[in-house]
Amino acid sequence: MKNFQDMTDYEVKADLIEIAAHKYREGKLTRRGFVSAMMVLGALPALSGKAMAQAKEIVVVNWGGRASEVLQEVMCDTYTAETGIPVIVDGSGPSGGKIRAMVESGAVVWDLCDSGMGTAIILEQQGVIQPIDYDIVDRGSVLEQATYKSAVGNYVYSYVLAANPKMLGGNVPQTWEDVWNVKDFPGMRTFRKSVRGMLESATMAMGVPMDEVYDALDSEDGIDAAIDKFRQLRENIIVWGSGSDSQNLFLQEEVSIGNIWSTRAHLLKDQMDEGSFTASFKGGVLAPGMWVVPKNNPAGSDEVMKFIAHTQDPKLQVQWLEAIGSGPANPAAAALVPDELQKWNPSSPENLAQQIFYNDEWYGKNQVAAEEKYIDALIN
Amino acid sequence: MMQQTSGFRIFFMTGAWMVLAFLLLPILVVIPVSLTDTSYIGLPKEELSLQHYVAYFQDDRWLSATWTSIWVGLVVAVCATVLGTTFAIGCWFLSNRASTIARWILITPILVPPVVQSLGFYRFWVTLGLIDTHGGVILAHTLLALPYVSISVFAALANLDPRIPQAARSLGASVWQTVRAVVLPAAKPGMLTGGIFAFIVSFDEIVGVLFITVRNVSTLPKKIWEGIQESIDPTIASVATMLVMLTIVVTIITIWRRRDGDLT
Amino acid sequence: MPRLPDTLRYWFLVLPALAIMIVFYIWPLLGIWQISLTEPTRGLDNYTRMFDSSAVTTSFILTFRIAFKTTIGCLILGYIVAYVISNFAGRVKPLMVALVLLPFWVSVLIRSFSWIVLLGRSGIVNDTLISSGMIDSPLRLMHNEFGVVLAMIHVMLPFAVLPMLANMRGISGAYVDAARGLGASEFTAFAKVYFPQTMPGVMSGALLVFVLSLGFYITPALLGGGRILMISEYITYQIQEFLNWGLGSALSVGLLVATAVVIALAARFVNLRSALLERK
Repeated sequence: MKNFQDMTDYEVKADLIEIAAHKYREGKLTRRGFVSAMMVLGALPALSGKAMAQAKEIVVVNWGGRASEVLQEVMCDTYTAETGIPVIVDGSGPSGGKIRAMVESGAVVWDLCDSGMGTAIILEQQGVIQPIDYDIVDRGSVLEQATYKSAVGNYVYSYVLAANPKMLGGNVPQTWEDVWNVKDFPGMRTFRKSVRGMLESATMAMGVPMDEVYDALDSEDGIDAAIDKFRQLRENIIVWGSGSDSQNLFLQEEVSIGNIWSTRAHLLKDQMDEGSFTASFKGGVLAPGMWVVPKNNPAGSDEVMKFIAHTQDPKLQVQWLEAIGSGPANPAAAALVPDELQKWNPSSPENLAQQIFYNDEWYGKNQVAAEEKYIDALIN
Repeated sequence: MMQQTSGFRIFFMTGAWMVLAFLLLPILVVIPVSLTDTSYIGLPKEELSLQHYVAYFQDDRWLSATWTSIWVGLVVAVCATVLGTTFAIGCWFLSNRASTIARWILITPILVPPVVQSLGFYRFWVTLGLIDTHGGVILAHTLLALPYVSISVFAALANLDPRIPQAARSLGASVWQTVRAVVLPAAKPGMLTGGIFAFIVSFDEIVGVLFITVRNVSTLPKKIWEGIQESIDPTIASVATMLVMLTIVVTIITIWRRRDGDLT
Repeated sequence: MPRLPDTLRYWFLVLPALAIMIVFYIWPLLGIWQISLTEPTRGLDNYTRMFDSSAVTTSFILTFRIAFKTTIGCLILGYIVAYVISNFAGRVKPLMVALVLLPFWVSVLIRSFSWIVLLGRSGIVNDTLISSGMIDSPLRLMHNEFGVVLAMIHVMLPFAVLPMLANMRGISGAYVDAARGLGASEFTAFAKVYFPQTMPGVMSGALLVFVLSLGFYITPALLGGGRILMISEYITYQIQEFLNWGLGSALSVGLLVATAVVIALAARFVNLRSALLERK
């Protein structure tokens, strides 16, 4: 979900740590065994000494790859320059399972984690993350949908309609309805190997207005209707599993149209030849990445909150967008985005107006059942 | 004996060569692709270029993955050959029902789907703390290689007359002496084949590695897999070309050394 | 010191490998059964879900269908090769055998990669056909069942050829010669006399290819475009995407049982001992 990098390994790894934590609680694994398992998994990198989060050092964790480098440069090094407090990025993937395992083992080494809405809600319920101190973090500097009690938006990304005009003879689909119109827009499409961000587009393709999408999907019939749209289209669908998958499908010209992450679209616009790639936020689904702070984090609550406040700086968020395509979570940043990037900014006012917000509540309720039907519709 | 060329024969001969071409040619496409002067997968456009070989040799991750695969493969070959040979020799001496069952147990890894066994490894390796360690990979690969060693050693022993070791024993040789003087020499060709098999099983294994390693351990197949998934670039083709060439050379040497054509 | 009986000494040779196999392989495999019955809740929930799910059923059917097509393809192509090598090859026999074995030694991953390079929309086959003017727009060769089956036949073919070769090596030419001497045409002699004798080899090859195809993961995952979701990929999908270990394990058990059933059924036609245990 959290883009930039293939998630798969991290999810597996996350689960692993969950299992180890589970065994530890059940008493099947000694504490020593547990800690060593955690170390092997890289969940407790700090125990090796070097990366040990000492007081007055903040360890920020995200999902690795280029995103880690950018986070370090744009957000962390600037903070260190301002305050003298070292901030280190660890790209080992702060999945919910890992955060929980870490808090429960009592050996917390992470201060701040890049999480998602769904995970944040679960972690909040489990009581393993701290409330955000909105006296330090400015509530007004974040999209209002991305302010939870214990989590706050750090950037946003969208599921967008991407297309290759060259392959389509210049005739680019403007709406999801067009995407389902195989006659006028021939060629293969790519959708995610999960319903996330996908059922919404199928529902809009049926003519349901944007703001009624989740209402329409809030019934068995609504879900079935959306699934049925995929069944109709399936001969023209190639599925993407990871962000890089979707990118490859466009690069290799395997598909001419797709519903992909805006962060990948941001990369593709530079990688593909002039005039061979467009993406439209119209009818897109906007989802935020969320900062969460594990309980008993080593640097202490205040220090981390101050760092979060630092990351709200619109100028920095614009740099983040330029580097890697993550949209600013701070609405004030939109005005600072250079003109040529405006249309690639998921949270610019124009783009915000034509997108819907990812409805986590709906997913909590319906995702499992929907996924099953979705797969059934796609395979033949 | 020169036989008449019938339609029947022509049909089969042509068919066979076509099938063999189908087997060989797709593997060879990696060669021109690896020499492409473009940065994407495709045939060379203007000139041949070695840039993707340079890219491989300059990338520490590719080199270290290659090195890992080689030494893990060697360790696996040794472990599996030692274990598999003793096993096969024991079974050969016993030659009873129980030992046949034992042999069946040892070949299960050939039959179990890779994903299923990897799942099993993964959960057990977590409890053992073997995830993402070289030891964990070596253990898993040794298990996967054992069937091949035991089968080929046992096959080699099929040529050994059971009465010879019996005679040695009755003349007062100990079990150990008998094994060393009589059985091991007979098992040698099987051990060699089995060892090579074991190395290749480990060197090519991918599904298990995907499940039981995370970041610390990277093997060549894993690197290729990630390459195909992440960004299909011609470096993979250069790696593939080198491996294919190596295989061709080894195969030619094998034919040359065993001209009877009985390679199976 | 009392002397140990010889049998016991031999068992000491057998034991290390056997023990390792049981502890580190068989035991974890049984662990999967346990997971399928205990996660997330104790009971048969995962199995009820599995049998109720039409996606699972479709995937199982798909898996068997692809395994079947692959097997048939491998048998036909493999038979021609094995027959020629055993009967007509003469001096080129070593070369032919080498060509069968060569792909066997090249990793499945690399072979799948080759097929991606060949079959892609802008792959070599399409490029060649377009530039030679034979087609106008690229054909869909990959990301569908055709591509998966083609690549799988390529991967599995040696597994079909080798048992057939071993079998044909043991067939005496005398019978065919006798039939020819009695006036049978070359084809009749082949169909009536030679072919029936090769059935054990064909069956061994079929069993091997079918069983290996059932559990195949790499090639379908890379060439299937997500829509040719065979059971192995379904299992990883459940586990990696949804952390659904319970259902993933239940599916694994299902696949394992399916494989076992296939082998058990095959035992009626194939000498399992020579097909698996003593294959060479």
